[in-house]
Amino acid sequence: MERMIAATGLCVRFGATKALDDVGFAFPRGALVAVVGPNASGKSTLMRTLAGLVEPDEGSVEVMGLPLARLSIESRAQAIAMVPQRPEVLAPFTAREVVALGRYAAGPSSAAVAAALDAVGLAARADVGCHALSGGERQRVAVARALAQVGEGSVLILDEPMAGVDPAEVARMVQVLRDRAKTGAVLVTLHDAGLARAFATHALVLSRGRLVAAGDASETLTPEILSSAYGHPMEIRGGWIAPRLPPQR
Amino acid sequence: MTARGFAILTIVLLVAAAVRLSFGPASDGGALRMSFGVPSVEALGLRGSAVIGAAFVGAALGLAGLALQVLLRNPLAEPFILGVSSGAGFGVALVLAAGYLLAIPAMRFGGEAGGAVVGAVVTLAVVLSLGRSREGHDPTRLVLSGVIVGAIFASATMLVEQMVPHGLRGDLLSWMAGRLPEIPPRESLGLLAAATVLCGLVLARDARAMDVACLSEDEARTSGVDMARLRRRLFLVSGVLAAIAVAYAGPIGFVGLVAPHAARRLVGASHRVVVPASALGGAALLVLAESTRQFIDVGTGRLAIGVITALAGGPAFLWILRRSRWNA
Repeated sequence: MERMIAATGLCVRFGATKALDDVGFAFPRGALVAVVGPNASGKSTLMRTLAGLVEPDEGSVEVMGLPLARLSIESRAQAIAMVPQRPEVLAPFTAREVVALGRYAAGPSSAAVAAALDAVGLAARADVGCHALSGGERQRVAVARALAQVGEGSVLILDEPMAGVDPAEVARMVQVLRDRAKTGAVLVTLHDAGLARAFATHALVLSRGRLVAAGDASETLTPEILSSAYGHPMEIRGGWIAPRLPPQR
Repeated sequence: MTARGFAILTIVLLVAAAVRLSFGPASDGGALRMSFGVPSVEALGLRGSAVIGAAFVGAALGLAGLALQVLLRNPLAEPFILGVSSGAGFGVALVLAAGYLLAIPAMRFGGEAGGAVVGAVVTLAVVLSLGRSREGHDPTRLVLSGVIVGAIFASATMLVEQMVPHGLRGDLLSWMAGRLPEIPPRESLGLLAAATVLCGLVLARDARAMDVACLSEDEARTSGVDMARLRRRLFLVSGVLAAIAVAYAGPIGFVGLVAPHAARRLVGASHRVVVPASALGGAALLVLAESTRQFIDVGTGRLAIGVITALAGGPAFLWILRRSRWNA
């Protein structure tokens, strides 16, 4: 099966700190990958390295069989789109204008912009200024911009897109990511391992910059592996994987 | 919205220019008198030079402010607040003093512009480095660094002013408050116009990249914008524009702050229209200030143009600071 995104021996150091230490994996077309792990486990650094924002000290990244380091900035932008942890819009753009900015490398396409806005359920709010949108809506605008940027058959990277988003928005986001993963690959960092297990096809578990496990979500997101990664007992409660809580006093 | 915005800015510019052309000091056998109505050909020439100079200085400051706001991701950025104008002013003062003391007339505008560019670029580099924290450029830290560095250069300029002979001291003092020459050397007006148009074209070419640069740094870079290259260009363009405006008219504040904000309000957020609108807005604001000052006699002459822009721009700065937004 075609490898959509792969990493080999990734090491990233910030001074004396190893943010990533010998991380390697490969995911096929159609993979919806949940990247989970405790705080400071290297999730965001991994996502930024895969998107070409951080140069690894060692190792390499391949996208659709091509070395990421050898892609021009324009080719990279047409192969991979990223939604960072904190998307920003400084100038008073409307939602439609922000989504259209995603077409910087590929060239203008009102159809791609309209489709992306529709996919995230913001078609009716397209001409509202971003400053007037709610936090959840702004997050969806950022996702729509990324969807418009790369089109089908490419890699989408999202860092904590579900943070601070209500359950209805989470459900909509899950559907959007599932749809996009059908033709390409989607990598998404999550704090909720239960949610990750519920919708991801594959998973990466990180702890202190090292890869704890990578593979099918059902085999990777187990209480044993997650307990080891988080350093805290995890258990399945009502079909949902969650941290073991102290008994009620 | 866009056409209406451009129409408003154009009307303000034309009305302000018409007022300035109809009312102002006219040369009359070596003396100056105030006149209103249809001016003589000679007066029209003098006033026309002031209007054209004001328009290009305003356009340069508007574009410099816009470039700095995108470069630093800071809605409060502008050459005066960031100390760039003071740095450029110090460069000009040094060149003027050296030219005067060494009696080198050839150092006039070309030398002043060169001194201003060096002063502006050095100041910008210092402020950028002081305003940088581990997380990038912090807006408040940047503004504070600019204010302090600007104050240091303004003091250094005053030191130069104290050290030069009386005649040049008066010249320096009036130039430091902002002064548009009514009889500018042709080459200085030409250099100002050429630099403004050239830098404006560079910004217009980068308009789409500047739009994307208004997203987060990570989004801009992964969208295909070479942010390092864009930053280098914005750095140079803003430095040259601020320097050339200061060399021509002295350190005039707040036009670079107000013009881009007014442009965004009137024509929208896309830099395809914000770049020309900032130039037009800056031109309209400075010609309006130049016209307004003709009506304010402070006894020793007309009120300096820099005082008018500071009186109007200071409150605008505070308003934008309170809102801390790009569409203030």
